[in-house]
Amino acid sequence: MINDTMTHDTAREALEALALDALDSSEREAVLAHVQTCAACTSELAALRAASSELALAIQPVPLSPAKRDRIRARLMARAAVEHKENPAMSVEPTIKPDYEVLIPTHPAIDRRPSITRHWMTSTSSWIAMAAGIVAVASITTLLQVSAERDRLLSKYQNESVASYTGSAMMDSLQGVINEKERMITSLTGPQVAVVSLASSSAPSPNGRMFWDQAVNQWTFIAHNIPRPRPGRAYQLWLVTPSQKISAGMFTPLANGDVMMQMRYALPKDALQAVAVTDEPAEGSAQPTTTPYIVGTRVASR
Amino acid sequence: MPGAERVADDVTMISRMGDGDEQALGAFYDRWHALVHAVVQRIVRNADDVDDVVEDAFWQAWRQAGRYEAGRGSVQTWLLTIARSRALDRVRSTNRLREEPIEGDAGEIVVQLATETDPSMDAESAERRRVVLAALAELPPEQRQALELGYYGGLSQSEIAERTGQPLGTVKTRMRLAMQKLKDGLKVLREDAR
Repeated sequence: MINDTMTHDTAREALEALALDALDSSEREAVLAHVQTCAACTSELAALRAASSELALAIQPVPLSPAKRDRIRARLMARAAVEHKENPAMSVEPTIKPDYEVLIPTHPAIDRRPSITRHWMTSTSSWIAMAAGIVAVASITTLLQVSAERDRLLSKYQNESVASYTGSAMMDSLQGVINEKERMITSLTGPQVAVVSLASSSAPSPNGRMFWDQAVNQWTFIAHNIPRPRPGRAYQLWLVTPSQKISAGMFTPLANGDVMMQMRYALPKDALQAVAVTDEPAEGSAQPTTTPYIVGTRVASR
Repeated sequence: MPGAERVADDVTMISRMGDGDEQALGAFYDRWHALVHAVVQRIVRNADDVDDVVEDAFWQAWRQAGRYEAGRGSVQTWLLTIARSRALDRVRSTNRLREEPIEGDAGEIVVQLATETDPSMDAESAERRRVVLAALAELPPEQRQALELGYYGGLSQSEIAERTGQPLGTVKTRMRLAMQKLKDGLKVLREDAR
C-alpha cells in the first residue's frame, strides 16, 4: 500500500501514471509528496509529462472553420482587452497556487496558511490597537464607480448591433463583464456583507475596505492611495482572527494607487477581528514580517 | 521556425501575456489553437462543448501566464495540460466520461496511425507528428491502449483495470512500459527544442 512514507523506488514506479494523471487521489498525493523532495523524480516527472503532452500530436486534427477559429479568437481578445482596460493588474493570476479560490486576484495568494507562532500571537493585539486609533475612510465612491461602469457597459451592450461574429463575440464578452459587475455590486451591498475599513495616518493617506459577503464567503478588497512597492517587494493581505493571520493574497497596486481583489474563503462569522496589509517579499510570506501598512478592525455588519 | 527558436518565441509570448499584452494572446492563440482544439475535441467529443473548452483553456493560459516557469516544462506541455484538464473537467461534470463507451475498450486503438498528414500543418508540426505516431506504433497494442485510456479517456489505473478486466498490476506495468518507451521514442523532439 502506498502511503506518505513511500520509498523512492515505489514513487519512481508511479511517475509514469502520475504524468498521465492516472493515479487515484491518495496515491497521487503520496507520490507528489515524494517528488517534492527528490530532484531525480522531479526531473523524470518533467520528462514524462513532456512526453505525454506530445500525445496530442497523434490526434488527427479536424480542420477548424475559419469562422469558428476567428470567433473564439475574437472572444478571447475582447475579454482580454476589456479586462486589461478595466484593471491591468487583474490580468495576472497568482504565481503561487492559493489554497482557496481567488476569483479576481491582482497578485499571488499564498498556498499555505500561516502557522500560529509566538510572534503572531503577541503581535495581534498591537495590530488591533493600531487600527482602533485610525480614522476609517469610506470608499463609497468605489461602489458608485462600479455602478457607473456597469451602466456604461449596459449602454454599450444595448447599442452593439454588429451582426458579424466579431460583434457577437464582443457582445458576449460585454454581457459577461456586465454580469461580473452585477456580482460585484451584490458582493458590496448584500444583506450579509460585513465591512472592515482600513487606514493609515501616514502619507499619502492609504485606505481601503474589505467587504465580506458572509452568505457566499466572498471577500472583496478595495484600496486607494497605495504606493508602488519597492523592487522585490509586494503587499500581502491578511485576515486576522484570534488565533491566526490568514494570508488572503498578494497584490501590487495600479499606477494610480488603486487596488481591487476578490477571493473566496470560508471563515466563522465571529472569527474576523481585523484586516491588515503588510509589505512582504514579492513571493509572499507565511506570516507577516513587517508592521502593517494599513489595518482596520471589523467595524460594521449589515 | 527551428525548434529552439520556436520555444524561445513561445516563452516570449507567455511573458508578454503575463504583462497583460493582449496582442500576445492573439499570437499565442494563432500558434496553438489547432493543437488545443484537436485535444479538446478528442476528449470532449460533444461539439457544443468544444468551443467553450478551447476558449476556457486559452483564457486560463492568459490569466496564469505569470505563473509559467520555463524550467518546469515547455509551453506546449503547460498549455496542453491546461487544455486536457479543462476538457476532462467538462466531461466529468456531465458524467459522460463514465457513461459513454471509450474507443479502445475492447482493444481497439484510439489513435489511427495510418492517417494522412493534415495539409494545414507546417512542416515542423508534421514532422513532430510523424515522430509521435512512429513512437506509438512501436508500442504493443495493450500498452498503447492503457496509455490512451489514461491520456484521452482521463481514466485512473484502477478504472482502466475495471474497464478492461485486467488486473491492476498488469495495467500499471503496461502504462509504465508504454510511457518509458514513448519518452525514449520522443527524445529527439526534446533535443530538437534545445
